[in-house]
Amino acid sequence: MRKLTTALLAGLVVTAGASAAMAADKTEISVARFFGACEADYGSVTDVTKANGECGIITALINKFNAESTTTVVKPEIVEWPGYDQLTARIRSGEPPVISVMHEAVISDYSSRGLLEPLDEDFAKAGVDVNDMTDAARQGVTKDGKIYAMPFDTHTWLWHINMNLFKEAGLVDEAGKPILPKNTDELFAQAEQFKEKTGKPYFISTLANETAFYTRTFDTLLYQQNVDFFADPTKVNFSSPEAKGALQLLSDIFTKDLTTKNQDYAASVSSFAAGEGGVFICGTWLIDTYDQESKKDGPLANGYAVTAFPQIYAGSPRVWADGHSWVLLKQDLTDAQRASAVEFMKFLWDNNFEWARTGHLPVRKSIIDSAEFKGLPHRGDIASLAVNGTALPSAVKRQFSIQEIEGEEVGSAMRGDKSVDEALTDAETRINELLANAK
Amino acid sequence: MTDVTLSPGKAVAAVKRPTGASIGPRWTNALFIAPYMVFYLALLVYPLFKGIWMSMLESDMFDDTSKFTGLANYYRLFNDKIFIGTIWNTIFFVLMTVPVFVAIGLLLALALNRSDRTSASLRAIFFGTSVLSVTIVTIIWKMMYMPGNGAIASVMRLFGLEPIAFITTASLALPAIAVTTIWWIIGLPMMLFLAALQQIPGELYEAAALDNASRWRSFWSITLPSIRRTMLVVVIYEIVAQFQLFGQAQLLTQGGPNNASRPIVLFIYEQGFRSWNLGYAAAASEVLFLIMAVAALAQFFASRKRVEG
Repeated sequence: MRKLTTALLAGLVVTAGASAAMAADKTEISVARFFGACEADYGSVTDVTKANGECGIITALINKFNAESTTTVVKPEIVEWPGYDQLTARIRSGEPPVISVMHEAVISDYSSRGLLEPLDEDFAKAGVDVNDMTDAARQGVTKDGKIYAMPFDTHTWLWHINMNLFKEAGLVDEAGKPILPKNTDELFAQAEQFKEKTGKPYFISTLANETAFYTRTFDTLLYQQNVDFFADPTKVNFSSPEAKGALQLLSDIFTKDLTTKNQDYAASVSSFAAGEGGVFICGTWLIDTYDQESKKDGPLANGYAVTAFPQIYAGSPRVWADGHSWVLLKQDLTDAQRASAVEFMKFLWDNNFEWARTGHLPVRKSIIDSAEFKGLPHRGDIASLAVNGTALPSAVKRQFSIQEIEGEEVGSAMRGDKSVDEALTDAETRINELLANAK
Repeated sequence: MTDVTLSPGKAVAAVKRPTGASIGPRWTNALFIAPYMVFYLALLVYPLFKGIWMSMLESDMFDDTSKFTGLANYYRLFNDKIFIGTIWNTIFFVLMTVPVFVAIGLLLALALNRSDRTSASLRAIFFGTSVLSVTIVTIIWKMMYMPGNGAIASVMRLFGLEPIAFITTASLALPAIAVTTIWWIIGLPMMLFLAALQQIPGELYEAAALDNASRWRSFWSITLPSIRRTMLVVVIYEIVAQFQLFGQAQLLTQGGPNNASRPIVLFIYEQGFRSWNLGYAAAASEVLFLIMAVAALAQFFASRKRVEG
């Protein structure tokens, strides 16, 4: 017995030692990302097909990579969305992560200052076929003719719909599709009808502590009216009757109590799942989450639909869009670290379909055209977004700061803290002031 | 033995003792304060002057080609509606919080200035919130304030009242942050007042009792004059601390709605880290420094005059 115990202990020590030695042989790279933390649910999941939602899938992807790679260990560093203040501070203090997730709208601010590594040669060596990138993805990560990031997705703004409440409101056609507004009059009529029949607001909106809803919805309403508000990338122009009309529409939705009014992001996401409103204007990333919710008992049971942003104004079907990507921060990396970083990016490229299960649009043409992708729930309903998603022109600097300011001013007008005219003037003045002083 | 007489106002030469030891000024004595002076100069004086210099540059976070622009950043600041708004927001916040810190801090200290177990427990509870991080505090108060399923909303609904949207209403956002801040750090002024109260000799109160002085009279004529210096410390400390409002505003309201709760430090942070305008952010920092210095000095001289008078 004593001998057996000794042998077992010796075996354990040898195994532990061997594992430690193997781990020590691997190159560790830090990867900063948002998408939330869900270690409790997915901390040990390496089968990505068993993960759901943004957080679950990225956590499982990293776990899988760490389990499979013989050369690299990825150390995830989870930051609060969007995380650029933290990234900026880390770069300035000389301690950036090796890889960071980055919105495509932000890349030029960093690449133009030489803070990112161009990746064309690395991708060619690693066998990443850049010709397989979708046009939107390739344009998003290419700055001054060089590729500065591995694109991960294209995400856009759309309508999540509670079909159970739509049925109750009489807003479902014979084919079982939601009846959606085709102009502003129909929007108000249907929203009033919905409120009258269900006793709930037509819209659920993220109006507190975040500016994303205001900016993305307002931009979409401008795109629909063919307004080119950044015709000159150094100056924004909101002084058009179309801009005034779009902002007045948002303001009217608020004053007529057709939306929830004081919810932050977390509250609005759960509010839609709890059946507290008919339409949640938000992004592609929630499709998988709500689809899973509709398979359970509850207010969304068998009653979830998603649709591209309806054409409220006759004009263009364009809609706000951006993309997530992975950048390699410029610093003194060893050859092994750089090779590991590219290995991880290649892994994400190879597994882009898994990420597309979140609801985001994939960045590879071969995946978009695949039967596997087309077979995912609701993808047929949002296929048009791959073409209509529109980002700000890449020559526009400080896009995140611009979107913050725009959102603040649109929010002030929508909530009635400012007149529509005043908000548009202030947004224009503040953004142009920012751009005039941006290098 | 050599007798040495020190007369005030006169330079004293080093005097050698027969034993070889000497007293009086010697440059080597400065070595005792050298470690402090090194850190003081490196971490306080140098950044102060560097900040003033930066405020006169057009300087980008990642661009090494800064350009001297004189007072252009200051001119831009005082024409910036948002910045002017942050000054008023910050002053309003200081006016809302500092008097409350003094009043409630003193009241709590008076109530808990006893040696029984209940008072000790309550002192620990009131001080306990001060050790929480700003993140925890704002999460707690967000759960209190949210009009949908927040704690205050639930209580209001219980009484049939319509919930109030504290942090999304322009006129209520800053007062909501003030309440959060007071709840968070009321413990420190309370403890400072408690320490001061415990220094007052009990004989004074006994003498007052023998003279049939009322409690109010004792408070007004014994307690208040005895803790006046502590009160000055609390007021100046709180003025300086509350002018630096940042975390609560950033996490609870992000300065909104309509900039109604954006304080100066949040503005500086946004200009520096989000817009990468270091020169502009430095100029705003200098303005904040000036306001804080004026407010603290005004309070200091006003209180000193009263004490001397």
